[in-house]
Amino acid sequence: MATPHSATDHPAAAAAPVAPAAVKILIAGGFGVGKTTLVGSVSEVTPLRTEEYLTRASIGVDDLAGVDQKTTTTVALDFGRITISPELVVYLFGTPGQERFWFMWNDLVNGALGGIVIADTRRLETSFASIDFFESRGIPFVVAINCFHNTNTRTPDEIRAALDLDPQVPMLLGDVRERDFGRDLLLALVDHLMDLAATPAG
Amino acid sequence: MGPHGNDAWGDGPGDGRPAGPRPAPAADPASGAQSGWDDNWRRGAVPHWSDLEEDDAHDESGTMVRPYTITRGRTAPERDDLTLITVLTTAEEEADAALARGSRAGARGIQPEHRLILERCRRPAAVAEVAAGLDLPVSVTKILLGDLVAQGLLKARAPLSVARAAGGMDLGLLTAVREGLRRL
Repeated sequence: MATPHSATDHPAAAAAPVAPAAVKILIAGGFGVGKTTLVGSVSEVTPLRTEEYLTRASIGVDDLAGVDQKTTTTVALDFGRITISPELVVYLFGTPGQERFWFMWNDLVNGALGGIVIADTRRLETSFASIDFFESRGIPFVVAINCFHNTNTRTPDEIRAALDLDPQVPMLLGDVRERDFGRDLLLALVDHLMDLAATPAG
Repeated sequence: MGPHGNDAWGDGPGDGRPAGPRPAPAADPASGAQSGWDDNWRRGAVPHWSDLEEDDAHDESGTMVRPYTITRGRTAPERDDLTLITVLTTAEEEADAALARGSRAGARGIQPEHRLILERCRRPAAVAEVAAGLDLPVSVTKILLGDLVAQGLLKARAPLSVARAAGGMDLGLLTAVREGLRRL
């Protein structure tokens, strides 16, 4: 966070703070897999929480209730920030656990630099939907295998096969509570983005 | 707030991809992380609707009414260019003048939430941060922000474009992000 504002230091226009540009990275995965933990491990502030109303009717094709049964759901969003420079800030958004709601939250999804999908080897299937979603939207992502329970008995190849990951997609194993692992994940994502930029898939 | 049950599974994003069986996941233990937010600037200013809602997440009809009284019934912002990471900065001179006038304003004047936003955004803040600080839903916050942008009291900076359609992302941006992350 910036230095505290003083009410006396802003008469001159030159003293006005310049707004940094912002980009965002999405942190996805199933319920309880460690999304907010990861946000917290790398964020410079304690993860913040906000919420949004999403209208179920706008889910569209998978809405069985009918448009006249429009209902509104509140979804909570945890996020953090990393100040890269005075001109650039990265926001990290942990996607809400209820996939079908954040999938339709266009403001959350649009313009994301990329994503990190966290998976837990005891229940890999809870992260399938996030992987499918990023693939279908063409949002580059890396996969984090969260090993903080120390119960991972699978090899990386087995996990990769179970997740049906594209060979290009980076996958890292580690503990999302550790800042170094969070940093490595973000760096892996940026490297992946740079690789993609260098060799456009067309 | 809090988990709303286990109904996480619809038919996916609706794009027809085969995805295999997707059993309902367990409850979300990550939802308890509500303490310790950076909320100093809003504390004690106004009694807040959400204080009444702590354990009442399923009362959706109730939560729908009160926030929108703050917006005088408006449910959509007049501008649609505010995103979660649009960064807002208070226009100091204009805001100070408006805040001074606001003390005598009537129904059309600056509301407490507007005042909080202007104080908050003396340091640049993203829409999501303002919403978290106000403890208001993003859509409600956007309406209030839109009011202030329209009055010239707030400046909005759109997020960087990360369009990857033509030849990949901006390598300069990625390099800058990478350098910053390495310092973590």
